[in-house]
Amino acid sequence: MTALREYPLNHPVGDFIRGLLPSPWSAIANGALAVALMCGLVTVAAIGLIWLERKVCAHFQARLGPTRVGPFGLLQPIADAIKLLMKENIRPRTVDGLAYFLAPLLPITGSFLVLAVMPFDHDIQAMDLPAGVVYVVAVSGLGILGILIGGWGSNNKYSMLGSMRSGAQLFSYELSMVLCMLLVVMASGTASLREIVLSQQGMVWDWWIIKMPGAGLLAFLLFMISSTAELNRGPLDLSEAESELTGGFHTEYTGISFSMFFLAEFVNMFASAGLGATFFLGGFLAPQFGFAPLDNALFAIPGVLWFFAKVLGLIFLYMWFRWTFPRLRIDHLLSLEWKFLLPVSMANLLLGATLVTFKLMIP
Amino acid sequence: MNKANPGGEPGHHDPAAQYLADLTGGSGMPGGLPAIPGVEGSGGLTNAVDWVVGWARANSLWPLVFGTSCCAIEMMATGASHNDWARFGLEVARASPRQADLIILAGTIVEKMGSRLITLYEQMPGPKYVIAMGACTISGGPFYYDSYSVVKGADRLIPVDVYVPGCPPRPEALLFGVMKLQELIRKGGWRNSLTPRPINHSPIKDEMSETARLWEEKEKAKQEGMKEAQERFKAENPDFKGVVIKRVAAPKFDEVPRVVRSQRGLPAPETFAILAERFPGLMVQGLSEPTPEKLAALGPEYILDVIVGREDYLGLVGFLKSDARLKLDFLIELTAVDWKDRFDVVVHLQSLEKGHKVFLRCALPREEHPEIPSLTGIFSGADWHEREAYDFFGIRFAGHPDLRRLFLDDDFPGHPLRKDFEDPSRIVKRPY
Amino acid sequence: MGNGMQAGMAGASDALHAEQGRPGSESFRLPPGFTLRETRADGSQEYFLNMGPQHPSTHGVLKLVVRLDGETVIEVVPHLGFIHRAIEKMGENETFVQYIHLTDRMDYLSSHINNLCVCMAIEKAMGIGVPERGEYIRVMVSELQRIQSHLLWWGAFGMDMGAVSAFLYGFKEREKITALFEELCGARLTMNYFRPGGSNADVPADFLPRIKEVLEDLKFSLDEFEVLLTKNPIIRERTVGVGALSKDRAISYGCSGPVGRASGVDFDVRKHDPYSVYDRFTFDVPLGKNGDCYDRYMVRMQEMRESIRILEQAMAGFPEGQYRSKEKPNYKVPAGSYYANVETARGLYATYMVSDNSFKPYRIKSRSPNLSNLAAIGEMARGGKIADLVAVLSTLDLIIPDIDR
Repeated sequence: MTALREYPLNHPVGDFIRGLLPSPWSAIANGALAVALMCGLVTVAAIGLIWLERKVCAHFQARLGPTRVGPFGLLQPIADAIKLLMKENIRPRTVDGLAYFLAPLLPITGSFLVLAVMPFDHDIQAMDLPAGVVYVVAVSGLGILGILIGGWGSNNKYSMLGSMRSGAQLFSYELSMVLCMLLVVMASGTASLREIVLSQQGMVWDWWIIKMPGAGLLAFLLFMISSTAELNRGPLDLSEAESELTGGFHTEYTGISFSMFFLAEFVNMFASAGLGATFFLGGFLAPQFGFAPLDNALFAIPGVLWFFAKVLGLIFLYMWFRWTFPRLRIDHLLSLEWKFLLPVSMANLLLGATLVTFKLMIP
Repeated sequence: MNKANPGGEPGHHDPAAQYLADLTGGSGMPGGLPAIPGVEGSGGLTNAVDWVVGWARANSLWPLVFGTSCCAIEMMATGASHNDWARFGLEVARASPRQADLIILAGTIVEKMGSRLITLYEQMPGPKYVIAMGACTISGGPFYYDSYSVVKGADRLIPVDVYVPGCPPRPEALLFGVMKLQELIRKGGWRNSLTPRPINHSPIKDEMSETARLWEEKEKAKQEGMKEAQERFKAENPDFKGVVIKRVAAPKFDEVPRVVRSQRGLPAPETFAILAERFPGLMVQGLSEPTPEKLAALGPEYILDVIVGREDYLGLVGFLKSDARLKLDFLIELTAVDWKDRFDVVVHLQSLEKGHKVFLRCALPREEHPEIPSLTGIFSGADWHEREAYDFFGIRFAGHPDLRRLFLDDDFPGHPLRKDFEDPSRIVKRPY
Repeated sequence: MGNGMQAGMAGASDALHAEQGRPGSESFRLPPGFTLRETRADGSQEYFLNMGPQHPSTHGVLKLVVRLDGETVIEVVPHLGFIHRAIEKMGENETFVQYIHLTDRMDYLSSHINNLCVCMAIEKAMGIGVPERGEYIRVMVSELQRIQSHLLWWGAFGMDMGAVSAFLYGFKEREKITALFEELCGARLTMNYFRPGGSNADVPADFLPRIKEVLEDLKFSLDEFEVLLTKNPIIRERTVGVGALSKDRAISYGCSGPVGRASGVDFDVRKHDPYSVYDRFTFDVPLGKNGDCYDRYMVRMQEMRESIRILEQAMAGFPEGQYRSKEKPNYKVPAGSYYANVETARGLYATYMVSDNSFKPYRIKSRSPNLSNLAAIGEMARGGKIADLVAVLSTLDLIIPDIDR
């Protein structure tokens, strides 16, 4: 309950409400406000990302992408969303009712919960848990569960194959992702996401990607690879694998339940990129180069914009991966994790530990 | 709720207002908007919702990845960089019918595929739309006459919203079809029914002959009506000699002598000599007496075409393959010809190493199911060729491991490539 | 519908969905076509999966029934006929020249070459000669068609492997050649351009410079393609050693074209049984060693470059003169049987026609290279994963309407 008392909404608005209402009510009001803001923000961000993905994909493929609805086709995701909401929702006769119903809700819940501890700025964070990293790892497991039971509950062989694949894939890749995060937790000495960002204060070379020579960059690369796998995005989108499994775990889902999976993919991408920015790229901190006029100019830009800029940069990387690489095969994917990424990230953790112990950081 | 009244601001173009004006058709109702039948109090607000939903549905048509033949390539070209249907919101092609809104029937639908198409359509959630792309899905197209398996128009199976003619239609035509469909959907708004129109189950119906008959009758009536005028014209213009048709002169071409290329590998007379040595009674198609001189006289282009009896058939093929001088190791094709009084099983062999070919034919009595030994033990590839011959001609191949029909449904009546195959319920005969 | 296969595939009405009992039990009945009888010793279960006739990677309406152990393919049985349009029967009711347009619709990515084959058979039967310019047009158009087909294959291969952008890059290049064809004969896909004795029209005035332009672009993009997929470690990982077919088996199945050549079958009709004026040009026949997916991939990539070589030589020697010989008033083919073969983008395509001295063929048969190539799939896919089956299907480069006719 300490967290609830200290940081419901770490912002002047929060203080204002605290002054207005007595203690438990102010916390509840602040919490509700934070949840509403977060949901709004992330939904808008996800819809923006859907548009961005279409445009990025189109320009990668020498096309134009959506142009007919709104300027630059900006309203395209909204049209898609309304259409999906207004579509008939089919529930095949032979599905496992509870699992089929529950599955689309879990991934999106998981990704929203991750965002609860995401520090968007110095004073924009719904909740700063002291063990934020542990919380993130715990709730992101919900997504896996959703895919697994969705594939099982659909009672379709393609869905089942897709969910079995993703079960194996996501559990494996979580390991190296956690090890990469652990490196930063070890170096910064805290598991609170906000503290992790603040530990990178200073110059650009104080960001963990540079500060730990070699280890930081390697951990960042490993994080990007394993988070791509966690996101089920190409080239590691084996559980969907359209050319093999026609749609994988969501083959049987229609209308709104499918749109939940669809939306979760983008919210997840946002959350993953946010974690990447927080852990390795200084989160909401403005880059500083030790050259006063430039630094001052960069510092004047609000932190939340820096955060979004970094997140968008990482998201562009994810999109670049997806629209360039061919897909791996399931056994190659697993051997890549267990025989390469996992040993390397363990070794990297050791390297990081050595660097931390002997203070071999870039000053 | 008078906001969207089209009469409000003249000269200002507002698509929403325009659409609503189209919808009301100047009905003059208060607010200018018609109510939804059966919904009390429906008016401006419901129509605004209607517009938004129609707009969303029209601009987010996710097509099913469905293509059966040639048109599929043009459909893909429509999605490719040059034409890019993503501009219209179509890019999210779904492989699963559960998430598709639109099914573009790209390519011929045959009877065997018909039931699958209906299943696919039923698996799509409503509202769902169908574009029939190309002549085949509109009417059977080039496969209308004499084809025993083609569905004469996809709307014999599932309801079609937009028809895009062409063989195949150009990508621009398909895009135009998509835009027409979008217009339709916008008009429908959220009133587009979730429940689909009923499914038809009559793959073949000869509408063409009926139309031709009606056309002829109309022409006749037209001529009758014009008769008097024609006679009057003749009386008034006795000098009129008729219209002189000027044709563009067709280019004249010279005769060009044919360059005859000799067959590679062993010449036909020598090949036949090797065969005759082992199988003395062997005959050659078209020659009463296969002497080396006569074979050589057939020219360098001639491919040896031997007639073999049923008893020697398997032995001969085995010999052709295994003999070191011949080495005919490649089965080009195995098929049959129905000669009304007999069947000829035709086998084409080629030597990959030496290059020569030998064709052989084996006559079979014209029975319900004549039988001949299978070549599957010699050529693995013979498997499907023999199944095809069984499917088309009803010839049984003794020793074939899995003799089923290759192309047609198991309950297809008869064997279609037999000359006496008749199935009026399936075939529309050419009127000429 | 006992085993949970309601959606996705439109095969729900198939007999396969009838209750069959579990593998290993007394009531168990294998679906048609399957031969392996043994069940697994460890008591684990196998299952059957319908791929197609509506599946994104079967490239049309092929249906594969796959027997799987987990993700490992035990046996594959193809089911054909979902696009069987009775072309051969229709051919018996159309004139010889009318049959040309039906061959467009068989292997529509090699439609020029298919047309050529029918024309050659008619020419053989009636002794029609082709002028020099006509022969050059034939060779050049055929080679452009081959490149066009391979470009589409390359794109589709990329898409099957999960690299969706590759599909559009392939199409982008292909579109340039399509535009060229459109200028040539007015059609983009179903050409109907060749006639007995030549072609139905001369080439446009700027044909050669246009080809030159296209080829320059193509050489550049082929290098890019090599960077994007050929050198990609994921592609190598997924194709090297996957779906191997030995030379003997390839010959026995009658595999031809790039599929046969990848297995080391040194057979290319253009080289070993030359038609038109192919014997005037120097070009190599790319061969593979192992017959795996990677070899099939490489053979096609090299074939595109060989086609460019042929085109460059043909452009250098492109003669003036008439593009076709004198037209016949009618094409009444003397009685007998006639055979002609060509090398399409997929292999040996042959036309066998039987005439009874009339205007219409008594029997006409087209030998489809795809049919024989697909026949070997059971052997290629056995023991691989589902993803390997997709890779095999993709590198077979199937055109289903050509198989079903």
